[in-house]
Amino acid sequence: MPRLIVLLAAAALLAAACSSAAVPDDEVPALPPTDAGALNALLAASDRPVVLNVWASWCIPCRSEAPLLRQAEAQFGDRVRFVGVAVRDDPGAARAFVAEFGLTGLDHYFDSAGSVPGGLGAVGVPHTFFFAAGGALVYHHAGVIGEGALALQIDELMRREG
Amino acid sequence: MEFTLLGAVAFAAAATAGVLWFEAGRTNPPGSTRRLADAALAATLAGLLAGRLAAMAGGGTNPLTHPADIVIVRSGVDTGFAALAALVVLALLARRGPWATLDGLASAALAGLAGWHLSGVFRSAWLGTPSDLPWAFAQAGSAVTRHPVEVYAAASLLLGAVALHLWKRRSPRPGVVGATALIVAAGVRLATEPLRLGLGTGPEWWYTAGTAAGLALLAWRLTRRPAP
Repeated sequence: MPRLIVLLAAAALLAAACSSAAVPDDEVPALPPTDAGALNALLAASDRPVVLNVWASWCIPCRSEAPLLRQAEAQFGDRVRFVGVAVRDDPGAARAFVAEFGLTGLDHYFDSAGSVPGGLGAVGVPHTFFFAAGGALVYHHAGVIGEGALALQIDELMRREG
Repeated sequence: MEFTLLGAVAFAAAATAGVLWFEAGRTNPPGSTRRLADAALAATLAGLLAGRLAAMAGGGTNPLTHPADIVIVRSGVDTGFAALAALVVLALLARRGPWATLDGLASAALAGLAGWHLSGVFRSAWLGTPSDLPWAFAQAGSAVTRHPVEVYAAASLLLGAVALHLWKRRSPRPGVVGATALIVAAGVRLATEPLRLGLGTGPEWWYTAGTAAGLALLAWRLTRRPAP
């Protein structure tokens, strides 16, 4: 009986392992540098609501929410701008992360000092911030965000914009 | 695993354990509770693993190259595969008394699921589509009132758990309570799904299949002649 369970688990693991990178690494451009000031200017100039995800390639929980962000961008990208900020990361590893999850639909930036989450009063990663058009902060989700919470906050943003 | 998710798990586990304790000696045979709790725990862990692996594969993460990701279950468990794996493990563990085990766990499983859904209140994941109904809620700072969809699900499952507990006291045919629990669990999820906000990844067909499987199982157990 335990042998059968181990066999089933191994089979499931192998089946699940049949996955691959969504985008070749060399198709992902270098992430432009940013800091708190530059990002605030970007948010203020945005005529669309913004979902800002703060992540790092070394952050295991960030891997969990990456597929959700890709799906959300594919579904709502025409009405909401999706921005990713890699913090305290290695530039190559950050690019590989974007490639692995096919997150090329998001506008990614590189914040080597972690000043973006610091400027928003957040510590650690991941964080997801929801901004109305013009840069007003609507909601801040600390930690890994789930599908329900992500969809709810995007719906709230879109309804604010009418 | 985040603390909010740990809280959700603890909530569900406490609901399951509480109902098993309550049922011991009332509808479950005396002394069977520990065995039932062990079976529920093993099935839950197997379901969590299978559902997590399926979600990782679906999301493009290779579990062999990122084994540490397996424990990060937040936002990444395929409920359909999880339910299937849990039922398979339960069937294997209880192969000498499958109907008694299914019936014994029925109310507890529904109560556990109710606890899980109710915990959405603490995870910012309990509101659904907009609604003007008097009991609709708006999140802080918002003017949009919404269905408290996870409260609907939790209340329905809790009602189902109580109803099955009362029904089980009347000693229906073996397997009937367990089959009804499957219908309730899958049916409640199927019925509340249109009120949830999602990203188009909801596995409605799993819930439809679960409801249909429960109905087929119920029909089979009701029409089967009792053993002499």
